[in-house]
Amino acid sequence: MESNGDKPIVVLVDDEEMVITSVRAYLALETDYRVEGFTDPEQAAGFITQRPYDVIVSDYLMPKMTGIQLLRQAKEAAPEASRILLTGHADKQSAIDAINDVALFQYIEKPWDNTQLLLAIQGGIERARLLRDLRDSMAELASANDSLKDVHRRLIKAFL
Amino acid sequence: MADHEKHEIEPEDIEVLRRQVAEEHKMASLGRLLAGIVHEINTPIGSIFSNNQVALRSLEMLKNDLEHLTGETGAHARALVATCHSLAEVDKIACERIGNVIRGLKSFARADSDELHRVDVWEQVSGTLRLLQPEYGRRVVFENLVPPDLPRIECYPGKLNQALLNIIVNAAQAIEETGNVTISASASGDSIEIRIRDTGKGIPESVRDKIFHSGYTSKPAGQGTGLGLTLSKRIIVDLHGGELDFESSRGEGTTFRIQLPLKQKRP
Repeated sequence: MESNGDKPIVVLVDDEEMVITSVRAYLALETDYRVEGFTDPEQAAGFITQRPYDVIVSDYLMPKMTGIQLLRQAKEAAPEASRILLTGHADKQSAIDAINDVALFQYIEKPWDNTQLLLAIQGGIERARLLRDLRDSMAELASANDSLKDVHRRLIKAFL
Repeated sequence: MADHEKHEIEPEDIEVLRRQVAEEHKMASLGRLLAGIVHEINTPIGSIFSNNQVALRSLEMLKNDLEHLTGETGAHARALVATCHSLAEVDKIACERIGNVIRGLKSFARADSDELHRVDVWEQVSGTLRLLQPEYGRRVVFENLVPPDLPRIECYPGKLNQALLNIIVNAAQAIEETGNVTISASASGDSIEIRIRDTGKGIPESVRDKIFHSGYTSKPAGQGTGLGLTLSKRIIVDLHGGELDFESSRGEGTTFRIQLPLKQKRP
């Protein structure tokens, strides 16, 4: 799963500190992930647009911006990272409507089940790293292709 | 309705209509209130659930670490860990109970109940029964025999739950001391049938044709509005294009039968 040897980075965003404390304690016990927690979605937006990460888990209803608005920014900044919505909002429709909009990886309802949340985060990390590897391999392939073309061009030039 | 003859509206009819509208408003406000409460509780209970799991796992790890500690200090530390572990186990059971109530409230008070959804009947019945357990659980045994693999039905979940709740409450109230309320269901063709059977006193023949009438109640003042079954019939028949009827025998009990189409007609 760890393509480049470093620890997976999980971003947690919830305006309730208790959620971050609880999930952080659980992930610390069960995994070696690095957890970046934010109670302020604007600060979280600052982090995800500047720093690399694998998965973002966001609440839906927060002051200043909704989880969907935050995840939209996350998609623009790092499309290969996975986006998970963790919501206690009873009206799912607005969230479901937005799923395609932000290419949501998972939707989890509060009160959440730790095992389910961990599976979602693990799956999200795996997906993000595969996508990143794929992107890197394609870039290598494109560069190799360019070199080949160059050799081809020089060969033709040499013979003509 | 179109073939009904025109008739003068009696003042009593207006009063009945007014009470029906008031009852529907009351249920809608209650639904919104419950949805708000559920939303407020979801986050703290989610945190408590999670912390409890972490506490139990950590205590197990600590117990293993303390195994090799000898002497009085070791025994004391092990006893403290054992106490904390059993308290955390109690908290886990307490959390599960709160979680069950929340899940019941959640499926009952869906904020999006004005839209059509495909729902699982077993789940809706379970949610409704969880809500009734605290009030009737000591004298009435509720059984949900709805097959979990029954096809999902398209309905307005909040409204349908309201109808189910009314009918199941009636069944529980028909039982004078102790008894059973059993909910079963089956599918045939493009519809399903839900049966609510109680072992209560049965409905006297003299009132059988009145029980769906607005304002009729056999219960003491303050216990029944006389609108529960009328609203249930409206929800099942008028709103969902289903059927609601019953069979009853004195002293043996009553079975209400709800028939609902699997799919709703588009307007």
